[in-house]
Amino acid sequence: MSDKDHSSADDRELVRGAQKGDMGAFEELVARHRDKIYARALSMIRNEEEAVDLSQEAWVKGWQRLAQFQGEASFGTWMTRIVINLCLDQLRKHKRQRTESIEAMDEDSGGVERQMPVVTVNPTAGLERTELRQRIDAALAKLSHEHRTVLVLHEFEEMEYKEIAKAMDCSIGTVMSRLFYARRKMATILTDLRKGEGQ
Amino acid sequence: MDFDAQLKLQAYLDGELPEAEAREVAKLLAQDQEAVLLQGELRNTRQALKGSEAIVQLPESREFYWSKIAREIERLDRPERVEQKRPFIFRLQRFLVPVTGALAVAIFLGITLINSSTGTTLGETELASEDMGAITFRSESEGMTTVWLYNRGDSELSDELAPDNVEPQ
Repeated sequence: MSDKDHSSADDRELVRGAQKGDMGAFEELVARHRDKIYARALSMIRNEEEAVDLSQEAWVKGWQRLAQFQGEASFGTWMTRIVINLCLDQLRKHKRQRTESIEAMDEDSGGVERQMPVVTVNPTAGLERTELRQRIDAALAKLSHEHRTVLVLHEFEEMEYKEIAKAMDCSIGTVMSRLFYARRKMATILTDLRKGEGQ
Repeated sequence: MDFDAQLKLQAYLDGELPEAEAREVAKLLAQDQEAVLLQGELRNTRQALKGSEAIVQLPESREFYWSKIAREIERLDRPERVEQKRPFIFRLQRFLVPVTGALAVAIFLGITLINSSTGTTLGETELASEDMGAITFRSESEGMTTVWLYNRGDSELSDELAPDNVEPQ
């Protein structure tokens, strides 16, 4: 397959080519999906350099496991699952290295989020799409890794509770409580950001 | 409202509750204002997040990004492919060369011992395999001889250690 053929071929054709050892076909797949894979790593890790490294590692793993790709999901989704697993492994390593976080202690003892007053006014009402994206990104950056991860997997990847529990190697109950705390914290942070814009 | 009820409220919002429990939550929402407010907050956050992920672009060029991936793939593929392409006899050679080397050393030492006991000097030792290279170092001051054996075909050091490339000290 020539370079021209690669750029005009669809993902399925490229995957078939790559499975036969065509590196050109795989390079085209990388070019098509690299931003998405990097974005997912960055949303979970929040460090550009680490996110680039993890995304590249994901592509190498993808190449090695191409034979296992049967096409049940799209190639992009399959690759995203690989980078998510790598990010989760990386976050576990980070967690082992640092002392117990305040967030984790909060979670174990019930957290402060349950006692927080309910946010009755929608803090993102009236925001334009670009502004909303920036606001959401800023709020996500303020969450703990555990809370951010569960939100990213549920809201952006649209994974079900049981899928998240499997990926994060925890119970469905833990997923539910983390998601609850994460949402409550997000509401408070978004409200604070809204208040801050008026000052 | 206890924590279990709060989590059920959230699961109801996410469509993750079985039908019977979903009916219970719907009943709670019809009676409990606190539950209604909490559900509103959770729903607002959920809706704000949907489709609002930051748009990110990789901060590296296509070529630069790919080059690192390609290098890593080639590095990981190389040993396996080289091993697969080599016929059995060459793979066997990897094990035969050290054995032959060990035999050569034994013969060398045997001849040295015989000659030292009879008082003659060692003239020449022939290597048992053409694939094997050897370098001998003799320290007169320490009364020690070192023989370094290597596989000409396999060792990365073979060229460097070839007698022609070793400079006299």
